[in-house]
Formats: sequence, structure tokens, C-alpha cells
Amino acid sequence: MNGEVCLPAGFAALEGFVAGWASPTTAARAARRSASTPAEREAFFAAAAPLLEAAMAHLDSRPLAELDAADKRLLALMMALGHVQMAVEVHREMEPQHAALREAMVITRSVSDLV
Amino acid sequence: MNVEARMAFRPPVDQTAWLGSDPIPAKAYYDPEYYEAERKAIFCRSWLQIGHVCELPEPGSFIRRELEFADASILIVRGKDDVLRGFHNVCTHRATQLVRDAEGRANGFVCPYHMWNFGLDGRLRSAPDFENFFLAKEDCALKQVAVDSCGGLIFVNLSPASAPPLKEFLGEYLVDRLARTPCARATEFSEYVYELDANWKLDYDNFQESYHLKFIHPRSGAATFTPENPFGYPESFGFHGPHRTQMFWPHVDVDAATPTQKLIFGAGARFAMEKGLMPNPTNREYYALFPNFFLFGSPTQHFSHTVYPLSARRSRGVIRIYWVGPAQSASEMLAREYSFLVVRDVHSEDVGVIRAGQRGLNSGVLEHLHFQAMEGLCRHLFNVSNAMVEEYRREAAGTGDAA
Ligand code: FES
Ligand SMILES: [Fe+2]
Repeated sequence: MNGEVCLPAGFAALEGFVAGWASPTTAARAARRSASTPAEREAFFAAAAPLLEAAMAHLDSRPLAELDAADKRLLALMMALGHVQMAVEVHREMEPQHAALREAMVITRSVSDLV
Repeated sequence: MNVEARMAFRPPVDQTAWLGSDPIPAKAYYDPEYYEAERKAIFCRSWLQIGHVCELPEPGSFIRRELEFADASILIVRGKDDVLRGFHNVCTHRATQLVRDAEGRANGFVCPYHMWNFGLDGRLRSAPDFENFFLAKEDCALKQVAVDSCGGLIFVNLSPASAPPLKEFLGEYLVDRLARTPCARATEFSEYVYELDANWKLDYDNFQESYHLKFIHPRSGAATFTPENPFGYPESFGFHGPHRTQMFWPHVDVDAATPTQKLIFGAGARFAMEKGLMPNPTNREYYALFPNFFLFGSPTQHFSHTVYPLSARRSRGVIRIYWVGPAQSASEMLAREYSFLVVRDVHSEDVGVIRAGQRGLNSGVLEHLHFQAMEGLCRHLFNVSNAMVEEYRREAAGTGDAA
């Protein structure tokens, strides 16, 4: 990291996760989750989950169309958190088997692509 | 969960008694000859769900859909008169497929081979050096398929001459309910697609019974299992001609959700409330439209699944989650992402057992399969499709005798 600030004020704790997790499309977020290690998922979840409520409050202070680039990165991170939450809290040690089965399900369109 | 709020649950086993209790011939789920009869008796004659009106927003909008079971490529087009029409994507000169794009907007369709030019209504508008043919332009229109829509869903029928009107096929109850779903008002959707080594009925049946939930979705489905309804069975079934419905048991265990899930689901529910989508009688109803489509109600959005047969032992599925209006806020977008990924996650858990089921069937070792009373929807699908196959075989034999 070059120390550049990529996220809105208040979310500095997540700066280190932007490069790895702030993917703009649903398919990329799903692929990132499936390619991640348990340690990567747990570190991201532990950092991001406690900030979810604050992130939603910050991002909802403006209409979606008016979010700037930093806000969009934060939103992408929170959407990635959704994916990782399923792995960390629901599937747990079964996540690798689930990742293999999810491969068959090819995402062809998403309303939450930020591009 | 609040103990006082718990209600007694009685599985509606008596509602499927009329379907009978015979074992089901296993061949119907793997035999190429049986599939060949199904293809002709069912898929080449029935109304099939193929898209949504939000994909064709303006005159000139078109979508192309591949129906592999018929080797057919179909164009659905919104005409200048706003009417939806369906055509085979086949040039009437020498059969070249006209359109390669999966969707788009056009003023007409020009064949890449010799530039025959067709209007949005399928008529041949012009063709180079047409005087040299021995033909009238009026006889060169694109071949039509029947198209109609209900509740926003677009259906096609490959046998336009014999197709009953769509609304007659669906029946009054379903026409009324489909019109009231959020899907009927949907403006956008997320989608994923899969191909699977499984007979179309085996694949589809997985989504018609709750018997497996507890074993295949022990964690992702945890909220569905409550002490009074440990299998998460539906509270009632409905049968409507070849179609069927079920009503889900509404008393889920909300405490099964983690704080993160509660935050995201809470946002989703808030937006659905604001859009007037809750409460809605269709929110926990499941609509299985014969032969290969279902729409699954939920309080915040509806998702659909179409299973296209590819062969006796392979199918392709298209899953969509429909939304009313674009997301207005970041939380709404997050809630949509999460709903979509949860459906895909839960569905992925089914894939392994469906594949394993087909491998078992292919061995040919079983003569019969068995459906219990709460797998009545699977039995109904078999009964309806098998009756059509038998009718078709009688017809074919009759034709043979006459010849
Ligand atoms: S095949 Fe289409 S113009 Fe010749
Ligand atoms: Fe399942």
C-alpha cells in the first residue's frame, strides 16, 4: 500500500482491505470470496463487520447516484462483506466444499455492479 | 422465539392423497427414449417461460433465447406497435441464423449471408436481386412462435397453431396471483445460470420438496426449522390443472440470524415496505408452472428458476431475482446483493446431491423411485408429464396404424 486514503473518513481501519476486497462487480466479489484463504476471510470479516452499521449510515446520507469514488469503494467492501459473512458465519469449515459447488453457478447479470 | 407466538403445525399430507401412492418408474428420469417423447409431447407443445417484459422496454427491443431441446433459436421482439412477437432466428432464404447478439435494439434484422432484410414484424422488407427468385415477398416472412405474457413473465409456445391462449393454460387463480407478485412490477433482475448433469425433472423436483432442507441446508436453512415444524414443510399445497402451488410456513426462527444478517435483511425489509411490497399474499407462495418454471415468493423479492432440458440426463437452469425499481440507496443495493448471493449459496448446496441422484439413476439399477406425501408436488409433475407422454405415444401409434 502507498498510504493513499481510499475510503471516507471514519473507515481508516478498512484501508488495508480495499486492494483485496473492493471489487466493483458481484461476479468479482463472489470469485474473490471463493479464492480467499480462511485467514483472509476472517481478518476481513473481523475488521468490516463492526463497521457495517456505520458504513450504511454514512452511505445512506446521500442518494446512491451521488456517491463519490471513496463511497463506492466502501459500498463495494460492504457488499464483499456480505459474501464473506456467508463463508465465515454460515458455512464455516464447509466453505471450501461450497466454493467448489458454487463454481457451477455462473453469475450473468447483477443489479449491484458498480460499473 | 416467543413461545406464545408458536402455532401448531400439521403437515398437509391429506392434500396430496388424490395423487396416488404408486412407485414412480425410474426410467422417466434417465431414459433417452422417454425424454424424446417428453420433448415432443411436452416441450415442443407447451407454453414455456423464457423472459421478462423489463428486458424489452421499447419498440425495437429484442432478446434471443436458445431452446436446445428443439435446436431452436428464438427472437422475442417488441414491435413498433408495442406488441411482443416471437420468431425463429432463421432466415427464410437458406436458413442462416440472423441474430448473434443475445439482446439489443434494432429497426429490423438483416441476414449476414445475402442481406435479406426483415422488419420487426417478421415480414421480408427487401432482398437483393429478388426478381431472380421464384417467390413473393409475402411468403418469406420469418417463422412465428406464439408469445404472450402474464405477471411480467414472457412465455413462448413452439406450436402456435395448437397452443391454447396463455391465460387459459395458466388458469384464473394463477393469472390473478402472478399479476400481484413483485415480479409483475419488476424493472430489473440479477441472474445466474448453470448446466448440470441431471434430468430436468430430477433437477426441478429438488425445489419442489422441503424434505431435504434439514439435511442439505442445515446451516443456511436454519431459520426454517422450528420445533413445531422440524422439516420446514409448507403449510398447504394447491393444484391448478398441470400447475401447482405451495404456501410456506411463515413462522421462521428469526433468532437464527446473526447481527450482520439482521442488519442487511432489516434494510431489505425496510425498502420492500416503502415500495408497498409488504404485506403481499404472494410473499410466501411458490408457483410451479408446468412444465419447467417456478417463482418463489419471499417478503422482499421473488426469484424464478427455469430448467431447460438439454438431454435425458442434462439440463440448464436460469435463476433470476427480480426487483421493483432501481436501488435508491447504498443499503438497498447491499440488501439486493446479499439476497442474490444467499439464493446462489443455498442453491449450490443442492448441486452435489442432484448430480449424485442422476449418477444413481443412470446405473439403471432401480426400477422405481418413491415420493412420500410431502413430496406430492414431485409426484404431480410426474403424473402430469407422464399422462402427456402416454397421450402422445397413443397419438403416434394411431398415426402409425392409419398409415
Ligand atoms: S441465407 Fe439469409 S439471405 Fe441468404
Ligand atoms: Fe435445496
